[in-house]
Amino acid sequence: MAGFLSLLRRIYLSVYNWTVFVGWFQVLYLAVKTVRESGHQHVYSAVERPLQLAQTAAILEIFHSLVGLVRSPVSATLPQIASRLYLTWFILWSFPQTQTHILVTSLVISWSITEIIRYSFFGLKEALGFAPSWLLWLRYSTFLLLYPTGITSEVGLIYVALPFIKESEKYCIRMPNKWNFSFDFFYAAILALGIYVPGSPHMYGYMLGQRKKALSKSKKE
Amino acid sequence: MKVSVVSRSGKDVVKGGLELSDSATVADLQEAIHQRTKKFYPSRQRLTFPLKPGSKEKPVVLNYKKSLKDYCDGNHLTVVFKDLGTQVSYRTLFFFEYLGPLLLYPIFYYFPVYQFFGYKGERVIHPVQTYALYYWCFHYFKRIMETFFVHRFSHATSPLSNVFRNCAYYWTFGSYIAYYVNHPLYTPVNDLQMKIGFGFGVLCQICNFYCHILLRNLRSPDGNGGYQIPRGFLFNIVTCANYTTEIYQWLGFNIATQTVAGYIFLLVAIIIMTNWALAKHRRLKKLFDGKDGRPKYPRRWVILPPFL
Repeated sequence: MAGFLSLLRRIYLSVYNWTVFVGWFQVLYLAVKTVRESGHQHVYSAVERPLQLAQTAAILEIFHSLVGLVRSPVSATLPQIASRLYLTWFILWSFPQTQTHILVTSLVISWSITEIIRYSFFGLKEALGFAPSWLLWLRYSTFLLLYPTGITSEVGLIYVALPFIKESEKYCIRMPNKWNFSFDFFYAAILALGIYVPGSPHMYGYMLGQRKKALSKSKKE
Repeated sequence: MKVSVVSRSGKDVVKGGLELSDSATVADLQEAIHQRTKKFYPSRQRLTFPLKPGSKEKPVVLNYKKSLKDYCDGNHLTVVFKDLGTQVSYRTLFFFEYLGPLLLYPIFYYFPVYQFFGYKGERVIHPVQTYALYYWCFHYFKRIMETFFVHRFSHATSPLSNVFRNCAYYWTFGSYIAYYVNHPLYTPVNDLQMKIGFGFGVLCQICNFYCHILLRNLRSPDGNGGYQIPRGFLFNIVTCANYTTEIYQWLGFNIATQTVAGYIFLLVAIIIMTNWALAKHRRLKKLFDGKDGRPKYPRRWVILPPFL
């Protein structure tokens, strides 16, 4: 019974990882193709659907962590997924004026390369039981460039969206109301920008530590 | 007796070790370490018995009252030293974390702060907002008084970093709630709901105070009560009756004032106190296992009957 459940888990995770891999591959392919053929202003409309699907599917990973299907702690996956979903739905989809900006191109290329490497790494591990050392190296090295480019794109796009957020009053709750609550999406966006200030060095430092551990461990083996 | 003091990595913390009399206590050892190391005053020192490598057990912390002979038969003792960092007394920590809410909340009530948020013009103050001010300030005044006159602390000190963390928590939430309850566009609940909320809250605060008195009496004045089974009043049915009454008194405040901010604060407080309550309940059950003449810990709710 335990063996059967373990096999089921492997099959499920293989299917999950490879499916999302295909989604991100599509994003990268369409992004590069569109930038070369039509220009950066059209990248968003080309990648919108696969981007939204692949990124939103990642919510499942929180669930995987919680039930112990995977080893990664919820505390590591949650902030990453939160910022991704925030950008995908609450900035890009909600404020179309941001969609033609050049930072969209750098954003989706940074994200898709990172995710392609990550999902193929896990996909191979679940399906075959191991992943080649060059893929391990990629997984723990590409972030050195892609974290700065990705974070810069995220911060930049939130900043670009600010005047449109303020003007539209979207997602705002005003007083008076019987629950005596208010929410200002503009100030929340400013707060989000603020979180990037300590958050980015923290994440980068964490990955540097993980890199050291993963690459030295593989050297020993 | 010779005492070697080593760090967790094995390095000598006190070069050449220390020489103490056979009747010396752990407190004497701590004083001697302080003398030699200058910056490590006793409350910063965590001294443990060395564990066998690979042992999964938790290290035994040396009790400052015990004699060195209690830990070592021969005439050479090795202790493992850990620096706990700069310490502040618990009283100092609690005083500052409670002072914030006590002083910040009235600022939103008495001063025209909402003008800076863009709300011009006259502000009408509803009776519930005034009662909420009294209720809130009484609550934190009570907490400060209990800190100085009621609580007997198991540890004298706490790391300095906790001052920043705890003050951030209390001061931020205090301001967040004060902003909404005293807002010019605040919508009061009906009179009956307000009275039920505050009445229930006051009742729970009184019960909470009584719980604190009972807990205090479990410990002797010199702080050496160890762990006892709490008894009497609500403790007979729930281990952490003090947390239970605290949660319910915040519920009373929220029923009367009805703000999302207040309910968020209540939820976070429940999560934090439930974690503490589970740890305490487990500790008491483990200690009072009914063996070797120890009493068995009775079946009780942990913190919030009928849920947990």
